[in-house]
Amino acid sequence: MTRFVIRRVLWLLLVLLVVSFITFALMHLVPGGPWSREKALAPAVVAALNARYGLDKPFFVQYGNFLMGILHGNLGISYTYQNRSVTQILMQGFPKTAILGTTAFVFAMIVGIALGMAAALRQNTWIDYVCVMFSTVFASVPGFVLGILLMIVFSVILHWFPTGGWGSPSQVVMPAIALAALPAAFIARITRASTLETMRQDYVRTARSKGLLERVVLIRHILRNSLIPVVTVAGPQFAALVTGSVIVETIFSIPGIGRLFVEAVFARDYGLIMGTVLFYSFVISIANLVVDILYGVIDPRIRYD
Amino acid sequence: MATTVNAANSSVRPHHTLWGDAWVRLRRNKLAMAGGIFIILLTLAAIFAPLITPYGFAHQDLTAILQNPSSKHWLGTDGLGRDVFARLLYGARTSLAVGIFTQVIVLGIGLPIGAIAGYAGGRVDNILMRFVDVMYSFPDILLIILIKAILGGGIYQLFFAIGLVAWVDIARLVRGQMMSVKSRDFVAAARAMGGMGPYITERHLLPNSLGPIIVSVTFNVPRAIFTEAALSFIGIGVRPPTPSWGSMISDGYAVIFASWYQVFFPALAIALLMIAFTFLGDGLRDALDPKLRH
Amino acid sequence: MAPLLEVRNLKTYFYTQDGVVKAVDGVSYDVNRGETIALVGESGCGKTVSALSILRLVAEPAGKIISGEMLFDGIDLLKLSKDDMRKMRGAKISIIFQEPLTSLNPVLTIGRQISEGLEFHKNMSISEGMEQATRLLKMVGIPHPERRVNDYPHQFSGGMRQRAMIAIAIACQPQLIIADEPTTVVDVTIQAQLLELIRNITKELNTSLILITHNLGIVARYAQRVFVMYAGNIVEHGKALDVYHSPLHPYTAGLLGSVPRLDEPRKARLQPIEGQPPDLIALPAGCSFQARCAYSIPQCLREKPVLTEIAPNHFAACWVSQKGLRTWQNQ
Repeated sequence: MTRFVIRRVLWLLLVLLVVSFITFALMHLVPGGPWSREKALAPAVVAALNARYGLDKPFFVQYGNFLMGILHGNLGISYTYQNRSVTQILMQGFPKTAILGTTAFVFAMIVGIALGMAAALRQNTWIDYVCVMFSTVFASVPGFVLGILLMIVFSVILHWFPTGGWGSPSQVVMPAIALAALPAAFIARITRASTLETMRQDYVRTARSKGLLERVVLIRHILRNSLIPVVTVAGPQFAALVTGSVIVETIFSIPGIGRLFVEAVFARDYGLIMGTVLFYSFVISIANLVVDILYGVIDPRIRYD
Repeated sequence: MATTVNAANSSVRPHHTLWGDAWVRLRRNKLAMAGGIFIILLTLAAIFAPLITPYGFAHQDLTAILQNPSSKHWLGTDGLGRDVFARLLYGARTSLAVGIFTQVIVLGIGLPIGAIAGYAGGRVDNILMRFVDVMYSFPDILLIILIKAILGGGIYQLFFAIGLVAWVDIARLVRGQMMSVKSRDFVAAARAMGGMGPYITERHLLPNSLGPIIVSVTFNVPRAIFTEAALSFIGIGVRPPTPSWGSMISDGYAVIFASWYQVFFPALAIALLMIAFTFLGDGLRDALDPKLRH
Repeated sequence: MAPLLEVRNLKTYFYTQDGVVKAVDGVSYDVNRGETIALVGESGCGKTVSALSILRLVAEPAGKIISGEMLFDGIDLLKLSKDDMRKMRGAKISIIFQEPLTSLNPVLTIGRQISEGLEFHKNMSISEGMEQATRLLKMVGIPHPERRVNDYPHQFSGGMRQRAMIAIAIACQPQLIIADEPTTVVDVTIQAQLLELIRNITKELNTSLILITHNLGIVARYAQRVFVMYAGNIVEHGKALDVYHSPLHPYTAGLLGSVPRLDEPRKARLQPIEGQPPDLIALPAGCSFQARCAYSIPQCLREKPVLTEIAPNHFAACWVSQKGLRTWQNQ
């Protein structure tokens, strides 16, 4: 098992390396440098700025410097907020994004699994029907669109929630629901299908033939096996949630990393762009790693690979 | 418990091809049919927009701003006096175009890569799949935004940016199909008869994998549509004067408290279109599933 | 002494879109203490369903036990509450399923799956249960049981999995074990070993055994009495040797004729039974076997035969046999 984890961690580092390289290369392909503003700066000023930030060096030297910087925990300097480092800026935005993301993810998993299992266990009853309708509809509408609709109904019309900003719990509700709805619906569908499949398995019949309580059969035999495919999709769902938060933060004016990224792209802020992309990739990769490990814990068949 | 069939009195079911059988099953699925009809109607409305509405997408009437729906402006007007209904129809053109053309690129890149990886196997497959893994670790919206920022420009660059990131799923799918077909007995038989790569691909691989590919494309289209809307909302997608539901939303966002109609209708349109595609995709998936055949 | 299990006129039907499947249509048999009976028939004749009915494990809502009595030690199982029935399962009556691979939970250790029943019925703790599981694994002949008890099903071979299933079945020392085609999925050498194992264990624990099989070759050696099932009914039963040597029903005769035998000349051809079993939704009016029977008389078409004692302690449901018009050979 430890070998498995070590291999995956090494792979993660390699992936991050490749991601950083691709992003770095892409950044340098964006037309107009980091200094192009509405009013063009004098060439001498541009040259001086470039020299100051080491942007006049050859590409691979820049990349090398950047990697060295990362090893020291330094993700570079932001070009728009020149007196703060990228790391500082990210750390400011991180808590908001983290709270939003975690709330949404936990909500999605709990609601999705509960709904899916309930539907499977009460197949062909109204619970099942509602769950299937719900999950099909909400699995199609992404956070961005749902967020807008929620905002219209609950902020503009009903005045129950504020339209955005950050600081009080009521401001988390709508963005979290908007973000969580799609993953929840998707997970509900998978859970339902998986549970139905598991319920039909022979070993469930064996468990009953031993005279076990139905509750025990449910938890020990059905639940654990049904969750295997769900865990598999948890990783990509988390990744989708992370990327979805970029737009949702923009709509609800949440000062998190997603909004920072959007602003950074407009401002051609190389440093900040690199930092956010790397950060997101890191988070996604960690999530995938956790999911892989969890999968090994739940399903002993793949542990001995 | 299975019933055992008495050979003397069992009836032989009429023989259906996979496609014929699939069509029958699809027809029976009301949600999928509803979705399909909605899409077709919207497409027709988008194509024939000039015949349906007298207003253009950018036609401003500053004497009639922020009006509620009326007989003159069916869905009201926005902050610059533009007719919302007209903008919705023309915006549909963009959305549908994005949906379709990105898939062309997705298939153009994903099919060959997946087929090569699956067919060649070994190291080639290994390298390609590692690359796919890396792509999966990228937050895809961010990558699309970056690529679009590099390419600049408008709708064509957008097709490319979205397609360049979205081919991964199809490649994986085709690779999987290729690998499972490759190992099946009838392929060995075909090879033994002298059939070569392209023959096998054409006769065996394609018919088998066409189903899942169709389903995958049906689910990819709404994702592309949504991505365009999101990007246009931020300001990186298509540029005015090209109509877009996303830019309608961002335009109306500023005046959301004054009149929420402009934001509501495009958002609703996106939602409905995506739901329609999902219903259709689900229906196609069930219809084409060989395990559910009679 | 009263039999341990008496099944009287059991009817289990399945309600499907195509109609009502009469899987078990008035079946009666009994098992004495310490006795092994064989329930024989081809696939689809209802023997597995009748076994599942005893444990009330028939899949609802499609399947339902319509009527009948199942007296276990004097108690009618059909009248028990769900909780009481649960206490019976695994503790007093247990079952060994046919497919050991799919019948074992892939994410639990073998040991845990054995000890589950002990935890529930005998109130053992998990560690006590695992200890006992180790002992049980040894009893069923699995080498290195202390290690194997922590392994998962996918780490066992097919034969070993079936031994593990046996261990699960005997864990709480039930009075009756039902073995549903326990050797169909393993190869012939393992078959013999498993059957010997089952026989030794049932002897040692004085357990009654219902051996369900379509393989007539094993019946004579392991069972004292035989019940032959066809299309949801018992068509013949009696002492194993009696049935074997002088079958009173043409179906039994056909089954015996289609089994290769060591004491027959090699050139003798196997005689399969012509035709197919009937559709259990649309059973014919007279004898269910009539369509495939070479010996039928007009009465067979009109009336369904009833089980009658034709020879001492040897029953058959066949008009031809009843009238003494038997022309098929003795074995």
